[in-house]
Amino acid sequence: MRHLPKHLQPRWRYLAVGLESWPDAELSRRDLQAALWESARALLGDPGSADADLTVLRFSFDGGTGEAVVRVRRDEVTRSRAAVACVSSIDGQPVGLAVLGTSGTVRACEEKYLSERPQARGERTVAFGGAERPAVVRGSRLDVRRRGDDGFTGATNLDLEQG
Amino acid sequence: MYEAVHAHPEGESTVSRLAATAADYGYDGLVVRNHGALPTFDAGRIRDEFGVDVVRGVEVRAEDPAQASGYLGSLRQEAAVLALHGGSTALNRFAVRQERVDVLAHPMRDGDLNHVLVKAAAEHGVHLEVNLGRVLRTSGGRRVRTLSGLRKLRELIAAYDAPFVVSADAASHLELRAPRELFALGEVIGFDRDDVEAGLAEWGRIAAANREQVSESFVEPGVRRGRYEEADAVAGSDGHTAPEDGAEADR
Repeated sequence: MRHLPKHLQPRWRYLAVGLESWPDAELSRRDLQAALWESARALLGDPGSADADLTVLRFSFDGGTGEAVVRVRRDEVTRSRAAVACVSSIDGQPVGLAVLGTSGTVRACEEKYLSERPQARGERTVAFGGAERPAVVRGSRLDVRRRGDDGFTGATNLDLEQG
Repeated sequence: MYEAVHAHPEGESTVSRLAATAADYGYDGLVVRNHGALPTFDAGRIRDEFGVDVVRGVEVRAEDPAQASGYLGSLRQEAAVLALHGGSTALNRFAVRQERVDVLAHPMRDGDLNHVLVKAAAEHGVHLEVNLGRVLRTSGGRRVRTLSGLRKLRELIAAYDAPFVVSADAASHLELRAPRELFALGEVIGFDRDDVEAGLAEWGRIAAANREQVSESFVEPGVRRGRYEEADAVAGSDGHTAPEDGAEADR
């Protein structure tokens, strides 16, 4: 189909979204897209969801953190932000989402908000809660593996026992 | 702006991890509102590392008013923010008349409020909590019930100008949400942006007022030890200012 004339083309805003989960989480672009649509439908209804038109354009996620660029209609930024906030788990995995910023172009969105996030990560054994536990370390943040089950406890290096 | 959270071992993240994420999101402080024993944390180190003020709070959970009354008496001195876990309507009715209760947490979750109770809460300075946790993290019928409860609460708060706080009730750093996200969500469900902002800031104001009360310069409402005390104590050192001297020695 032919392009719409410029004044009839939809105006977009691009949300830079930061993603965080536990280190063993696996998320794909498709999972995030499904979760956003579901959240928007539940919160805004079918008409509201269609208006906001949340679309994941860029996506990266590795080892518990990631980022995405989500395209929304320009006059629906607030409602879209609310829908993003209401995504609490994806595919059974708890996630923390935050809108890092909004821009008028994908490029500005990536350059302004998404460049510096990837961080070196490693695994080591830490003294936490009176025991030696394996942990995934990212800067000053640690995800400490819990005894028994396969869950994690979120901590920082301030929580480690000295000595 | 402040958030009120449940920290490890009740929640899945330690106080310092919650503080790290709260700092990313632009919060000034966190109120730790665990139900049971308070987690140990070093507020000074957390402030140095992340620039977030951590407030020692507690959310008292009780079966009935008699039990609640006992807990409140023993915990009032320890907690800079004393909240009561809203349970039955009977518990709500008790809480709104207790001046020592700072916050009645999620009053609409299992119980109910009416105009009489909200008026009493306004008179006694008991903050009603607008708890967004179940709007953020549940779906379907449960969420619909939460939303209709919040709507009623919003209308009652507006009608009687009752004090209130707003929280996402996070139990891990993954459940925290940035203030702007809460403003946006508030707007969708009928709360003004300014009200959500005021509700988040209110936690900090409650903490500041209570810390003031337990600080050593506080004597009683309206009276505090000022900066002239020491000079007076020196000038009048011939005996009649003995109490001040004693207070000085305690420091």
